[in-house]
Amino acid sequence: MSGSVVLGIETSCDETAAAVVVDGRKVLSSVVSSQVDLHARFGGVVPEIASRAHVELLTPVVAEAMLSAGIEPEELDAVAATVGPGLVGALLVGVSTAKSLALVWDIPFVAVNHLEAHLHAAFLEEPDLELPAVVLMVSGGHTMLIHWEDHGRYRLLGETLDDAAGEAFDKVARYLGLGYPGGPAIDALSLEGNPEAVAFKRPMIDVGYDFSFSGIKTAVVNHVRKHPETSTEDVAASFQAAMVDTLVTKARRAAHELGAKSLGLGGGVAANSLLRERLLSVCVDDGYQAYVPSRSMCTDNAAMVAACGWYRLGVDGPSSLDLGAEPNLRLPTVD
Amino acid sequence: MLILGIETSTQQVGCAIGGHEGVLASAHSARGRRHAETLTPSIEFICHQARIELSEISVVAVDLGPGLFTGLRVGIASAKAFAHALRVPMIGVNSLDLVAFPVRFSPRLIVAALDARRGELYFAFYRQVPGGLQRLSDPELGSPDDLASEIIARGEECLLVGDGPLRYPDVFSGLSKVELASREVAYPSARSLVQLAHARALREEWVNPWELEPIYLRPPDAEINWQTRDSA
Ligand SMILES: [Zn+2]
Repeated sequence: MSGSVVLGIETSCDETAAAVVVDGRKVLSSVVSSQVDLHARFGGVVPEIASRAHVELLTPVVAEAMLSAGIEPEELDAVAATVGPGLVGALLVGVSTAKSLALVWDIPFVAVNHLEAHLHAAFLEEPDLELPAVVLMVSGGHTMLIHWEDHGRYRLLGETLDDAAGEAFDKVARYLGLGYPGGPAIDALSLEGNPEAVAFKRPMIDVGYDFSFSGIKTAVVNHVRKHPETSTEDVAASFQAAMVDTLVTKARRAAHELGAKSLGLGGGVAANSLLRERLLSVCVDDGYQAYVPSRSMCTDNAAMVAACGWYRLGVDGPSSLDLGAEPNLRLPTVD
Repeated sequence: MLILGIETSTQQVGCAIGGHEGVLASAHSARGRRHAETLTPSIEFICHQARIELSEISVVAVDLGPGLFTGLRVGIASAKAFAHALRVPMIGVNSLDLVAFPVRFSPRLIVAALDARRGELYFAFYRQVPGGLQRLSDPELGSPDDLASEIIARGEECLLVGDGPLRYPDVFSGLSKVELASREVAYPSARSLVQLAHARALREEWVNPWELEPIYLRPPDAEINWQTRDSA
């Protein structure tokens, strides 16, 4: 195999994943074992259950990634693993595994920032993605608007002041009795509802780049109390419209004000149909190169970790084997 | 045959390499950086010191617990990765068996007990038999008072070993016919692990990485709460 072959490992939350990627661009394999069923009855990810499952699943997932890539250990150039941010017990499984594999195979270990990995998912599908870009990173744990100025240069334009976008979807879904995970449930139900049925306020939509979603959540609760006659479909569709409108309006303004060439999405909430559709139409209207990743590349996976690991290895060289998990790691931004 | 032993079930982090000639190299630290930070460099260090190539390892042994969850997982995840990468089988050993091992020559009833946090202990009873120790029952989880009552009920001369009793001296030091073993042997050691695993390796009692399961003894809190809610 010519090129630099990196094995990526991702265990920061409730997906156990491994992937083999060449030169940070070409995915030879990407295996994701989702634990969503283990956590569903608890209405959210239970850290102890996630950690136990990672211990059980990770070695087989790594073996499968290597096998389906047709790669022997001798052909690997590095092992990259997410070291943070995420659940500490879950991260430790991936980090410990990656360091051990690197030691035995005598290749570099590369520590990867999960948020930077989400950004690097872009190059797996759009190798010619043009920078600078504005990226909306939305998941259960994060809501960030990022100005990706150049390779390795990220500026944080804004983030959520309260709930993460995915969290707001989960909470509203739970309130409406739609189960967990909430994002896909609301997405599906919204298709049958009228997004203009209820005009939920869009908090801070014209002010700055920070987000606040707890007000929308409260507005949903208040509306359902006062107007129990509104159908759940209409409530879900109107809530989703308010969320997406807020996210896309700010991302669009940022791209315009900063003169971005590309406008993109990342993170689990980027799987939302309306968000994808709206972002794409902004790109068409305003002339940005669009980066709307496939759903499997939005949600947590190890191909993005391998891609980011390849990039970091080139910039920083190997990481030390005495590294541990860094649950509160932030995106390395410039000021 | 060389065995790599990995031991991380308590606050101590340990690793050792040994075989027919006994333990060739080991490293233990009870205080320092956390498990994941320490373990991989420690293994690299002992290999280097004993001039052993990792490729010479033919079995990976690991402490399965019970113990501190986070530490256990670091050890077990690492051990599985070593075994997988080296393509060698594994041997899992109970942490309490490891704690009892250094005092195996005592004719008394041996009680191994490790701190389980939250006011509880993991414990098991042992008796000397030709060639080693026999565990009299499966490891249990209970309060220090539960264990003290069991010891009193047995009414035998007994040697209590592990970091559990040391944490609750008020409960155990006053008991008659009971001696507390010293702090020197309070933690399971990777040296004991390699020695116990060696005996088992000779009998070919090994498993594949995917068959190895940690011994937690305590379900996740969320499941405890769930069950309580169901029965309420
Ligand atoms: Zn993520």
